[in-house]
Amino acid sequence: MGQLITRELRRLWQSPWQLALVSYLPLLGTLALWWLFSAGLPRALPVAVVDQDQSQLSRMLVRQLSANSVISPVSYQDIGQAQAAMERAEAYAMVVLPFKLNQDLMIGHQPNIDIRYNAQFLLVGKLLSSQLQLSLADGLKQKARLKLLASGVPPVQAEINLNLIKTQSSALYNANNNYVAFLVPPILIALVQIVAMLVFANALTEELRRETLAEWFSLGTYRVLLSKVLVYTPLLMLQLGLVYAWLYGYLGLPMLGGLGQLLLAQLVMLLAVWLIVLTIFALLQDSARVISFCTALFAPSFAFMGVTFPTHEMPLLAQWWRQIMPSSHYVDTHIGVIAYGQETQALVSQLSSYWGFLLLLPLIALMLAKMRREQTGEQLGQAQITEGQG
Amino acid sequence: MNFFALMFEELKAIVTDKAIAITLFGGVIFYSVLYPLPYLNEVPTRQQIVVVDGDHSSLSRLVIRHAQASPKLEVVAQLNDLTQAQAAVNSGQAHGYLVIPDGFRRDLLRQRGVTLAYGGDANYFLVYSAILEGLVSVGIDAGKYIQFQGLLARGEAAKQVQFELDPIHLNSVPAFNPSLGYTSYVVPGVLLLVLHQTLLIGTGILGAGQWQRQGYWRSVGLGQLLSARVATFGLIYSLFTAYYIGYCHYWYQVGVQGNLGQVCLFLLPFLLATSLAGIAFSSLFVRRDLPTQVLLLISMPILFVSGFVWPVELIPAPLQAVSQLIPGVVTIKGMLQLNQMGADWQSVAPLWWQLWGLVLFYLLLAYLGLRLRLATIKSPH
Repeated sequence: MGQLITRELRRLWQSPWQLALVSYLPLLGTLALWWLFSAGLPRALPVAVVDQDQSQLSRMLVRQLSANSVISPVSYQDIGQAQAAMERAEAYAMVVLPFKLNQDLMIGHQPNIDIRYNAQFLLVGKLLSSQLQLSLADGLKQKARLKLLASGVPPVQAEINLNLIKTQSSALYNANNNYVAFLVPPILIALVQIVAMLVFANALTEELRRETLAEWFSLGTYRVLLSKVLVYTPLLMLQLGLVYAWLYGYLGLPMLGGLGQLLLAQLVMLLAVWLIVLTIFALLQDSARVISFCTALFAPSFAFMGVTFPTHEMPLLAQWWRQIMPSSHYVDTHIGVIAYGQETQALVSQLSSYWGFLLLLPLIALMLAKMRREQTGEQLGQAQITEGQG
Repeated sequence: MNFFALMFEELKAIVTDKAIAITLFGGVIFYSVLYPLPYLNEVPTRQQIVVVDGDHSSLSRLVIRHAQASPKLEVVAQLNDLTQAQAAVNSGQAHGYLVIPDGFRRDLLRQRGVTLAYGGDANYFLVYSAILEGLVSVGIDAGKYIQFQGLLARGEAAKQVQFELDPIHLNSVPAFNPSLGYTSYVVPGVLLLVLHQTLLIGTGILGAGQWQRQGYWRSVGLGQLLSARVATFGLIYSLFTAYYIGYCHYWYQVGVQGNLGQVCLFLLPFLLATSLAGIAFSSLFVRRDLPTQVLLLISMPILFVSGFVWPVELIPAPLQAVSQLIPGVVTIKGMLQLNQMGADWQSVAPLWWQLWGLVLFYLLLAYLGLRLRLATIKSPH
């Protein structure tokens, strides 16, 4: 076994690309993706404001908007210009404060403030819609308070009339709705899964490049495969470990549970990835095709994790496809541990959800036997040819 | 060899190479089904919440009925205290909770303020926002109902009461993607990314497989080979693009605002720049399995840097600067504006010229790359 591991390590050392995949590339990817989202919270998003009233009230409302950290109001003279800015994505929303806003309010007409938000950029649009309404409603409350006070309501009572039902909302497990905590960990898990797939596929196709597939049968096929697993599993777990150290250690994102459960879950996820890659390799036996096929399979894994769009809202077919991705199983454990601080029982049921991957084992065994027959057949053929020539 | 014969050779090389065929024909069709698949239900509705009713009054029951009636919420259980509610969210039985405090009705009738407590699982932002939107509107409605009753009881006219409760109407409407659907949000950008990445992979594998061998590519001029390759991939990808931007947008009911001529005009430099970038990129490789690996690794960063998931304003300037060289990023920005947001041609013209700039830039790189690769002729085995 020691020799086989040395054989594997020597190959890793001699392949610059493979070496990059197990060392600096994932780290660069991790840093780049984190850096992209590092702002964490959407702030100062440009909003087009068309103030047609130019009254004390409308200016007060614009000040209310600037006071909100998410909104950065940009003044436009007319609606056409504001609309063009929306279409160019230079403003993510627009607010129209209509002519005679103040006057209508005073004389008891019901004026209308129009808000248009860009829902093509769904995340930003929804956020702005709610923040704009909050800020404006807050500004209008000030106005209503003055009105109540003017009509002789005592200040304390006026306050209560305005805020008859207060609400207190708690964002559980991600208190300030930080996008780094929400998006970056699953993205990085998807990235590591992709790297794992590539690394193992390369380790297998290296046998084709060196034309050493025939050696497997003298060395013992399963021992060769085991040596690959023994070399690459710790390396990939180390990568995941660094990702976690970066996110939850250095950046100090909140985490509840212990890392022990995660280590076990990572091990099982990687084994599932190895099984999938090995199946595809045994089927295709061509380096470019193996990579292309694995890519098709693993590239969309992030979408199927159910972090951005909830799993229980997916159609049945998508939920089935989700089961084929080891990362979807792993992300459940990840969130369970990091956010809920789950018990070990939960881990047991999560790990048992991987059972389907065991079905690949007999399939792989069959195909390896077939490969072996082909190889020995070729060797016999070659031997006969050399005999015939001799 | 005349130009069409050369294009035919190129086409043959592409179609007969299984690795390229898997990526191009298999990948493009496969992804057009797989990527939109999770989002077909469009909007998260009926999110499960649990309710803690500390008041057990007619009014608290009214609030619960309102919550049950909201399309965004579904009340799955009524529990006794907040601890149980938290446990329910923890175990995944529900994704949020609503707590109605003791004395809710009495305090409201006596005009004293009350507090409703909401909570939601913010691990899943879409679920959280659906629950919060649902509960907030339920809370506002309950408050209005009480005030309405109170003011009517004081003998005010109903119309006057309406105005006092709602002195200004805030009319918040989505400007594009009016259904707030997830497919319309994700699909246009992702499909363009798939076109971009598969085109780069196809040209990459083709080139990487040729540099160290003899073949038709050595018997023609550099310029001829370059234009034939761009023309062949451009032709294949015109069909793929038509399938994606045309049929898939129609099939997934993605809103389309652009006009056909302008969309085609905008996509022309995209196809040219991406094909040329692919040829330039292919000259970096001699192993046919490497181009796919590199592109797979950078596909997620490309998607996120193109600004429709995470706003451009929040992306660090250096990352934005680098992304200006990626045809896919520029195209996603431009196409969303032109085709999804109905911008006029003047608005997207700068991006269009930028794509032409990239065409020239990658033309130069592709030419240099080809010259370098084809100058080193290996002896045929």
